[in-house]
Amino acid sequence: MTTAPGSAPTPPRRFDLRRNSTLLAVGLMVVLVAVNALLQSNFFRPGILLSNLSTFLPLMMIAVGQCYVVLGGSIDLSLGAIVSLVNVIVVVVAETVGGIPGVAVGMVAGLAAGAACGAVNGALIALFRLQAVVTTFATSIIIGGLALMVLPQAGGALPAAYYLTYGGALLGVPFVLIVLGALIGAVVWIAGTRFHTHLLAIGGNRQGAYQTGLPVARLRVQSHALAGLMAAIGALCILGVTGAGDPLMGQAFTLGSVSAVVLGGAALAGGWGSAIGAILGGAILGLINNVIFFANIDYQYQSIVQGVIILLALAAGIFVSRKPG
Amino acid sequence: MLDRVRAAFADNPVLAIAIGIAVMLAAGQTVAPGFASLQQIAAQLAVAAILAIVAAGQGLVILSGREGIDLSVGTVMSLAALVAGNVMGGADALTLPALVAALGVGMAVGLFNGVGVAIVRIPPLVMTLGTAGVITGLLVVLTQGQTSGSASPLLQTFITSPVLAGLPGIIFVWVLLIGAIHLVLSATRFGINLYAVGSNDLAATLSGVRVRSVRIATYGLSGMLAGFGGFLLLGYTGTVFVGAGEQYILPSVIAVVIGGTSLAGGKGSYNGTALGAIFLTLLTAFLTTINIAAAERQVLYGLVLIGFMIAYGREAKGR
Amino acid sequence: MAEFALRAAGITRRFGPLVAVDDCSFDLERGEVHALLGSNGCGKSTLCKVMAGALTADSGEVRLDGVVTAFRGPLDARRGGIATVYQEMSLIPTLSVMENIALGNEPRRGGRVDRAALRAQTRGLMASVGALAQGLDPAALVGDLPVDRQQIVEILKALALQPRVILFDESTSSLDRSQVDAFFALVRRLKGQAVSIIFISHRMEEIFAIADRVTVMQNGRYVATRRIAETDRDELVALMVGGRRDKAVTGARVLDAAPMMQIGGLTGGRLKGVTTALRPGEILGLGGLHGQGQSDFLLALFGASPVTGGTVTLAGRPYRPTTPFAALRMGLSYVSGDRGRAGSLHGRPILENLSLALLARRGGIVANRRALAAGMGGIVERLKLKFGKLSHAIGTLSGGNQQKVILGRALAATPRVLLLDDPTKGIDVRAKEDLYALLRELGAQGTAVILYSSEDQELLDNADRVLVFNGGQVVAELAGERLTEYDLYSAALQSAA
Repeated sequence: MTTAPGSAPTPPRRFDLRRNSTLLAVGLMVVLVAVNALLQSNFFRPGILLSNLSTFLPLMMIAVGQCYVVLGGSIDLSLGAIVSLVNVIVVVVAETVGGIPGVAVGMVAGLAAGAACGAVNGALIALFRLQAVVTTFATSIIIGGLALMVLPQAGGALPAAYYLTYGGALLGVPFVLIVLGALIGAVVWIAGTRFHTHLLAIGGNRQGAYQTGLPVARLRVQSHALAGLMAAIGALCILGVTGAGDPLMGQAFTLGSVSAVVLGGAALAGGWGSAIGAILGGAILGLINNVIFFANIDYQYQSIVQGVIILLALAAGIFVSRKPG
Repeated sequence: MLDRVRAAFADNPVLAIAIGIAVMLAAGQTVAPGFASLQQIAAQLAVAAILAIVAAGQGLVILSGREGIDLSVGTVMSLAALVAGNVMGGADALTLPALVAALGVGMAVGLFNGVGVAIVRIPPLVMTLGTAGVITGLLVVLTQGQTSGSASPLLQTFITSPVLAGLPGIIFVWVLLIGAIHLVLSATRFGINLYAVGSNDLAATLSGVRVRSVRIATYGLSGMLAGFGGFLLLGYTGTVFVGAGEQYILPSVIAVVIGGTSLAGGKGSYNGTALGAIFLTLLTAFLTTINIAAAERQVLYGLVLIGFMIAYGREAKGR
Repeated sequence: MAEFALRAAGITRRFGPLVAVDDCSFDLERGEVHALLGSNGCGKSTLCKVMAGALTADSGEVRLDGVVTAFRGPLDARRGGIATVYQEMSLIPTLSVMENIALGNEPRRGGRVDRAALRAQTRGLMASVGALAQGLDPAALVGDLPVDRQQIVEILKALALQPRVILFDESTSSLDRSQVDAFFALVRRLKGQAVSIIFISHRMEEIFAIADRVTVMQNGRYVATRRIAETDRDELVALMVGGRRDKAVTGARVLDAAPMMQIGGLTGGRLKGVTTALRPGEILGLGGLHGQGQSDFLLALFGASPVTGGTVTLAGRPYRPTTPFAALRMGLSYVSGDRGRAGSLHGRPILENLSLALLARRGGIVANRRALAAGMGGIVERLKLKFGKLSHAIGTLSGGNQQKVILGRALAATPRVLLLDDPTKGIDVRAKEDLYALLRELGAQGTAVILYSSEDQELLDNADRVLVFNGGQVVAELAGERLTEYDLYSAALQSAA
């Protein structure tokens, strides 16, 4: 038996994995786009495409954040709660300060809160060396409670200017497209940095990374803070569509972000995967929801079908990124 | 000095929790006289029993290692309560069949989780979360958002009315369960295998242990115990609504962790978990007594869990 | 220029109540290869970590080129000119060879990694080490490489910052003979460049082949230093264990002619058709270069590795275990040499560690601990196991004793055939001797043993017959007069037919 160093599984042959998992994601995209086009005759109209993109964008953002955490060998179950908290903070601060300046202050407060929550997660995990799953599960409860304390009941609204901007265009280019472009650009840029390589190192063999002298604790805190920030940006995107406060709205995003990351081909054990895959994964989940909606499945059955599909997606994603034999 | 205190706690979680329980009782009695009366304690123990039974299953799953956790216990409780309530329909004669149905449903879901974790190798966190999602959807379909089914008077009396020494029947069932779990963990082949699997499943495989079967059985047991918990919950509240079990998920994990079971697997016992369940129940009662709202309580629970995780020490080195 | 490249004086280091290194001194001349020898737990690894800046000493000082060192960590030490090549590798399996070599020191351009420079840098480094890096693809994922190639990458990683002092901690343990020769060629070239080397190894042949001086440590204390040219193997072993031993007498043994196990064309994984027979009481050795199918053979027989072809019969009946559980039930037991990863149930009591396989074989529901403990008395004695109580955690035992427990676990299941997968890797000399004596006992009782060892001497001392593996096939069978070190080595290099 080959004794591979470290604790991460041996990655399968390069062709198998790298090609397979992205192929799977791309393949699924093609299939789903086709199915969507069949069910919705005007699917390819620009207005519809943009509307879909607006819906998918938040999950894509959060999935990218989750991906960086997962690449580093960790996981964050509190991202959904962070989305809720940022949502209510932005709305409450904006209303308190008032007007457009209120919105700006609210956004900054929300982004800061998201990054701070992430940093706390990272600190607990890296500095106290606590297990990621249960720790972020605990912080998700704490953060969820905080969200309820900030805004006990759904309500409050941002000035119309906010969602009008989000739904509008900048210099003729639809705003959501700009956001998507910025996201992809950022992801591609990060992929070339030392931070990214070092993160993969920690996820691939934490002990080895430490022995090599990498600042393991600092990198883990940074990756979690980044995830919190992405969740916050995701919350801002959601506000661009709903414009309203709701302390419970983030719940589904936790499992969704993990599913998207897995569908995108990342290994949950860490050290393997790409954030571009996570973006594709987010789109895939969004398209699946579309299919469920347009297939005229009885409303009460929709959530079971969603649940089953997510389980199947997870099984498929994990199956693809398993080591051979 | 702090390190010595921490080491003492980590080595003796049972002692730490016992002290915590005493503190809770004293604090409660101070704020609201009668809090620590025998009658009140009996009532609290009945509530704690339900949590403790669910936490027993959670503890087994966490013992099995590979970051084992069962986040579906809440929905399984709700589902089992729903099924049992409908089978019983308030009839004493149907209490036993309802119990069997609840256990069966719980075990079925647990085995499903086990197969996903052990054979498809989906990480337990993700698998059980996914299952919980499916069952939640199923519950929506089955109940159409309304309460459904009802407990028999026999069950309700068993749970809430004193049977012996002022303690309701559920306490005795719990005591029997404590004995049973202790026996399984310390004196059966399954128990030793479970510890082995949680400690080093490759070594266990190479020693002839059928690791996958052990894991599947463990998740099955957790589901079954959650089903039992749901059945008892039905008896306690009389009828059931969707999401009834939700509030047991986090506490079940907290009880296991503060009871001294290692999250890495392969180390721990039920005694600590049982005491942990009592401590948490008293904590909830105390917080409610001093009028802490639900949202704030939620925050506190999360902090308690993290506090205990820090106090008990870090993840195994080199992982 | 200071006289010594590296000099440690009066180093003491404790871990809680344990004194790992007790007032030790060590000096390294410029351009020399200085071996460090001692049984497990003697403190040599700790001393080296202190000298290499990975640990701080409680007292004493380390001077690099005459200047007192105060490194803040391993990366700091690497930048200061001391590199260590570890036993447990620090490589990242999911990154490429070049990414691993440059980890922490990647060439940058505008905030991002300069991949072109990285590739060029790596190729340059590979060219400078000669034959050792032959055939290595900088873009290959380290996890896809076999263990010996991984160890070579680990060596390259240490060389990347052009260190003045290099510490090799059992860096040749996974290399085969030809790779070790290439490694020695590299070491000689480094000496020529005035690089000074500390070399930790359990392999005497290597120490005598490459070192200039050797220092022996025991129980955290310095024992002696000798010039290699002025000492011999027996003196060093005597210094290590504190006294000479009589060489064990291993004459030819008389064995039953009738085989108990017939293996024909066994294929699967890396195995490409192995045929042999096993007689009761026989100790069958598996030799050859590392990773040629020996472990795969053992695991296939144990049902832990998939078999795609061939037949095996045991006591005349077909034997086709699909899981280790089935193999155990049929009377086979397996012991892994990788105790931490595949042997030890960390945190569990010694009793559980000993009883696991027995319970699997026996079946049943009840596991009475008192009865189990009583039943283990015989095994504990045969193993000469040193422990406190059976209820203590296995982690309280020394490495050698832990390995004895793993072996005890396999024996408690009363196997007919015992499969040993490099069982004495990293075990101290005394524990090894105990294990060899036990093997001979087993042979006398009729239990057959298949022993894979990465140390030729171990095979020569213990096996009745050795199958030499290459490329998943048996290329030679050596016994009696033909079972010599020379024959082993030469057969190992032979290609499969």
